[in-house]
Amino acid sequence: MKRLVALPAVAAMAIVVAACGSSSGSKNETAAKSSATPAAAKNGGKVTLLMGTAPDYLDPQEGYTTQAAEFDWLSYTGLYTYAHKGGDQGGQVIPGLAQDFPTISNGGKTYTMTLRPNLKYSDGKAVKASDFTYTIQRALKLNWGGKSFFTNYIKGAAAYDAGKATTISGIKAEDSSGKITIDLTQPYGAFLNVLSFPSAGLVPTGTKMSNLSNDPPPGVGPYMIKNVVPNRSWTLQRNPAWTSTTVPGIPAGHVDIDAKIASDTQTEAEQVLNNSADIFDWADQIPPSLTAQVKSKAADRYMPQNTISTFYFFLNTQTKPFNNQLAREAVNTALDRSALNRLNGGNFKQTCWFLPEGLIGHPDGACPYGDPNGTPDMAKAKQLMQQSGMVGQPVTVWSETRSPRKEFVAYYTDLLNQLGFKAKTKVIADAQYFSTIGNLKLNAQTGFADWNQDFPNPSDFYLLMDANSIQQTNNENFSQVKDPHIQSELRALNPVPASKLNSVASRWQALDTYTAQKAYIAAFGQEQQPMFYSNRINFGTAVFHPLYGNDFSSIELK
Amino acid sequence: MEGIGPYALAWRRLRRNRTALAFGAVFVIVVLMCLLAPVYAHDIAHTTPSANHLTDKVDGKDVVSVAGIPIGPTWHGRFFLGADSNGRDVAVRLLYGGRNSLFIAGVATLITMILAIVIGVSAGYFRGAVDGVLSRGLDLVWAYPVVILGVALGTTLAVGGLNFGPFHLKGNSLMVPAVIIGVIYVPYVAKPLRGQVLTLREREFVDAARTLGLSSLKIMLSEIAPNVVSTLIVFIPLIVANAILTEAGLSYLGAGVQDPNPSWGTMISDGIRLIPSAIHLTIVPGLMLVACVIGLNIFGDGVRDALDPRARVRIEH
Repeated sequence: MKRLVALPAVAAMAIVVAACGSSSGSKNETAAKSSATPAAAKNGGKVTLLMGTAPDYLDPQEGYTTQAAEFDWLSYTGLYTYAHKGGDQGGQVIPGLAQDFPTISNGGKTYTMTLRPNLKYSDGKAVKASDFTYTIQRALKLNWGGKSFFTNYIKGAAAYDAGKATTISGIKAEDSSGKITIDLTQPYGAFLNVLSFPSAGLVPTGTKMSNLSNDPPPGVGPYMIKNVVPNRSWTLQRNPAWTSTTVPGIPAGHVDIDAKIASDTQTEAEQVLNNSADIFDWADQIPPSLTAQVKSKAADRYMPQNTISTFYFFLNTQTKPFNNQLAREAVNTALDRSALNRLNGGNFKQTCWFLPEGLIGHPDGACPYGDPNGTPDMAKAKQLMQQSGMVGQPVTVWSETRSPRKEFVAYYTDLLNQLGFKAKTKVIADAQYFSTIGNLKLNAQTGFADWNQDFPNPSDFYLLMDANSIQQTNNENFSQVKDPHIQSELRALNPVPASKLNSVASRWQALDTYTAQKAYIAAFGQEQQPMFYSNRINFGTAVFHPLYGNDFSSIELK
Repeated sequence: MEGIGPYALAWRRLRRNRTALAFGAVFVIVVLMCLLAPVYAHDIAHTTPSANHLTDKVDGKDVVSVAGIPIGPTWHGRFFLGADSNGRDVAVRLLYGGRNSLFIAGVATLITMILAIVIGVSAGYFRGAVDGVLSRGLDLVWAYPVVILGVALGTTLAVGGLNFGPFHLKGNSLMVPAVIIGVIYVPYVAKPLRGQVLTLREREFVDAARTLGLSSLKIMLSEIAPNVVSTLIVFIPLIVANAILTEAGLSYLGAGVQDPNPSWGTMISDGIRLIPSAIHLTIVPGLMLVACVIGLNIFGDGVRDALDPRARVRIEH
């Protein structure tokens, strides 16, 4: 809703400018006019997107980072997807390749839906209902980071994943009628959101069961991923066969997107500011040194957007020293969230909760470790350390290379040393970072992590605290939390349908308060992300999606 | 007339070269400053190279502003050269970074020299198959540009460390970039050394030693080695200077010194993103790097001139 709120203000500015008799045709005025009187969308052309970090994978059944989802949700439509709208409306699930919303029966454990007729992949091949089964099997075979969403709920998915079955017994697909039936092991209120993951985006049966990031498979959607040069560049090319009526609610794109990895966010921001590139990736932060310039010189094409995200340091509860609750509490007590906010150029809402503000379940009580906007109590933290008996324990702190995350970890490492740990930093290339710390063999002790909502439901965040989500590779439960109370609460809360989430808001709040008290992570901020384009792009019509950031299908040239 | 040894003669020539001595002194001053880093940090700046002061104030100003911009030089004891984005004292990190850079350059030079002497002298003395194998090995390393080879090795070893037989180095150890730089510069010393030994082994005094029945090892140590020492001495300052530059380059690219250890290269790299608002973060380590490398290079040229045989002939006349 942020963009919709801004438009009347921009339009009003246009009226004021016009009333003043200006004929300068300034950029501000042009942008304002285009917003106030939307013209027919201009099709054609190519724009350049710069990214500070490459997606983990471009293969839809492997990609699980924000950067991967930006491309995959437009190229691999699943049975369900999200409305191409900004604000809260963008969090609404709409039918994708399914004709309509599913029929839910058997106490919330059986979902039945029918595939739209005459759908085709980008290579012209017809879409079959059985491709859905194959797609889920492929996500499991490729160890997709969120596969526990499938194995925890779809009947037979865990057995298939463990190699004990040759197919997923809970999914039945009839190619002749297009009917798909999914049986769950337990009701799950956010299951439609699970079906809306880009990783559940259909690929043809027979697609290789290996990482195809360098040559992504055909999908169904307004775009195709082409010309991949690993970790350097690729093109999000419009699918010529896609029209705005192929799937209602999924528009055909206006321009092709050339995605390039920038050497750093400084270069990235400078190029967009100077209009030599067109889109600054929303998952990156504009460096503090350029923020003022961007705000003044590009006020008509820059707008910070609130995101439903949590930035935190994970604390591995299964190994020394953070298997000790007092040691974890010491870290949470000592963490200076204001300091971390300064490293982020002031773009954080400081927090100690896991569930971010704006999401149902965000606690409204006092933080157990003092005011997150205040000065931390180091004396108390050191006392907790003494009680924990973990003084002198060696700790390796894992970090990405990109700023300001590397700087967060430099601060955090210093803090751990002040507390009495023997901490040292290990920096991993951004593209490999999460798969590295997500490898259970490494048993990473602590380090940086963040989570942006996959879907507007607290159960999405609690995947990271769910013992059932721990997996050997691509693990997302970095703290390796195995808490019986959390498990029992998740069993009760996860089945609640999205429409009834408000009725259990207080229970989610209690759970998040419990998580904070147990100090399973050290949360520190909820981030604002930049929507920042060149002056070639019509800023007024561009959509900032609450889940996937810049909606490339809405990008058009002026 | 009393004779004078070649090294005494070289020292006499070097003392006359005021420019070389002045730049040598610049290098020595940089080294002394870096060695005194703990004293400066403890008694003057009252901090450590990795201590963050993000929410502290100095002279009533934020060390790092709410918008994330660090303070510039205060010209006082604390934050004399300003702070970096983490609120760390730049002057302290500069001196500690210099220690790290010089340590790596020193160890790298030692490794280069030892390996170059063993390989160069063996290849030149034994010729034949030994020379063939060793020289092709040197060609293999030589074929790769220094920085590309360094980055390839540095990024690989930064994660897993170095495990070679009984040697185990952790990924964030300063020895990792030292070993990498030491190895990649071996051909640059070993090849000229091999050429010199190929000539020396045909000289009369080597033939005489062979006739007397001296073993190959003894000939290499007592007859060949003393005649290549001056070449090695000329190489030392040049290799140190190059090693300092290479370390800075590798650290800048993230393949050298690992966080939170400072080095001049990592300091420049960290400062790049704040150039528009905090240019001191790149200028200060850059100037230190330039002073150190120019000092060593000009001093190295002076040493070379002093040891140059042609110059000796001229002086004798």
